[in-house]
Amino acid sequence: MTTEAMTATQTVTLEVFRYHPDTDTEPSYQSYEVPYREEWVVLDALNWLKDEVDGTLSYRWSCRMGVCGSCGMMVNGYPRLTCNAFLREFMPGPIRVEPLRGFPVERDMVTVLDDFMEKLTDVKPWIIREEEQPIEEGEYRQSPSQLADFKQFSMCINCMLCYAACPVYEHEDEFIGPAALALAQRYNLDSRDEGNAQRQELIWSDEGIWDCTFIGECSTVCPKHVDPAAAIQQAKVEATNSFFISLLPFTPPGMGR
Amino acid sequence: MRPSNEPFFWAIFSAGGMIAAFLLPVLIVITGFVVPAEGIEFDQLDNLFGFWLVRLVIFGVAFLGFFHAAHRIRHLLKDLGLRSSATPIAVLCYLGALAGAVWAAVVVI
Amino acid sequence: MPGPLPRTKSNDWWNRRWAYRLVLLRELSAFAVAGYLVLLLLLVASVREGESAFADHLDVLKNPLLWIVHAVLLGLVQFHTSTWFRLVPKAMPLKLGGWRVPGELLIAGVNGAWLAVSVIVLVIFLVAA
Repeated sequence: MTTEAMTATQTVTLEVFRYHPDTDTEPSYQSYEVPYREEWVVLDALNWLKDEVDGTLSYRWSCRMGVCGSCGMMVNGYPRLTCNAFLREFMPGPIRVEPLRGFPVERDMVTVLDDFMEKLTDVKPWIIREEEQPIEEGEYRQSPSQLADFKQFSMCINCMLCYAACPVYEHEDEFIGPAALALAQRYNLDSRDEGNAQRQELIWSDEGIWDCTFIGECSTVCPKHVDPAAAIQQAKVEATNSFFISLLPFTPPGMGR
Repeated sequence: MRPSNEPFFWAIFSAGGMIAAFLLPVLIVITGFVVPAEGIEFDQLDNLFGFWLVRLVIFGVAFLGFFHAAHRIRHLLKDLGLRSSATPIAVLCYLGALAGAVWAAVVVI
Repeated sequence: MPGPLPRTKSNDWWNRRWAYRLVLLRELSAFAVAGYLVLLLLLVASVREGESAFADHLDVLKNPLLWIVHAVLLGLVQFHTSTWFRLVPKAMPLKLGGWRVPGELLIAGVNGAWLAVSVIVLVIFLVAA
């Protein structure tokens, strides 16, 4: 941006979603003028608002560096981490800030996360062993290639931008959704894990991978390049192979589960 | 939780999608443009379709293609908000595909 | 006390962004696939019936309206082809030995195979028959 343009645009309008559970029955939008700084992100503008203008404004944030995954909001209708959404991307404004789509709203930009948290637990995103190896035998070893098999899917920070981008989740309450399914795949692909069979019943159900129609926006909006859409399609291929193998009257060598 | 029967339909959807992606564009060019421009004579087509393997391939393309389309349309309607009638939609779509496949069989036999 | 705002559902997702509109078009290509298969089978049926039935069918095919129909079908089916191939490395990543084939290379390979198949089919219709 040129110097003239910077001095010409001193402020930018933020249209902020407001909802207070004690007093409001309907959400509303409130417009604020916020100083424009080239190095400010939307979260900086919200923090300035809360500190200087309106202390009742509610939203979640923590690390300011794209790691904690708590500051996800809809910015001009698109799910973003507000800590890496620069004001300069949206100039000259106005910039509309709303809670993530598809979740109930607790207050302002604070969403209710219970549904996601429950589904996340349901897919058992931890290493499952049939029998724990005794500590004296040392750690579970893994080659760089075995690590590479799942590493991409392990980068998830649970920011839920993928849920906000998913039209299937928007419509289907039971759908497990992109992040949880990607994390299930992350553990299924881990050479140290033996929990595949335990996760299958849920993952391979209609509410699991089969509700997904590969719209693919979950992968586009992911700030960590996890690619949940790819994880889900790969799980579909596995589930389908297993389905047809189970129809065979014998178990092909190396296919036993 | 009931095991899903989706793997069966998804396998046909995928196979049909792949076959359609590979063969339909060139087939449209041939039957939609080259044939009406009389770039291919009746005798050539008669010869070609007289060969049983060609007819089997045509049946395969039609069968997989119809089920591919049915599966896709079924899920599209669901995604467009018709979730409450998901079962009748699925039945209708697959019945349509089945009718198409039966017709294809009649044509090639 | 009203409490939390329930989650909202609306059916306009496909009209929110270009990415969604293209996905809708991709899914709608299924109608073109099915529609063209009907036209293909009608042609095959006319040829199987004999020369006069084929001549009648040819007259219909020469109608400019059917040229337009075929052009639209070709556009939609070609869109199916290119979107389908773009998703191949996501659904079926290829590992040769220890080497993960890069997605773009896999897409290029599939497109190359598609070109070869198309030429072979053309040759079968134009030359071999």
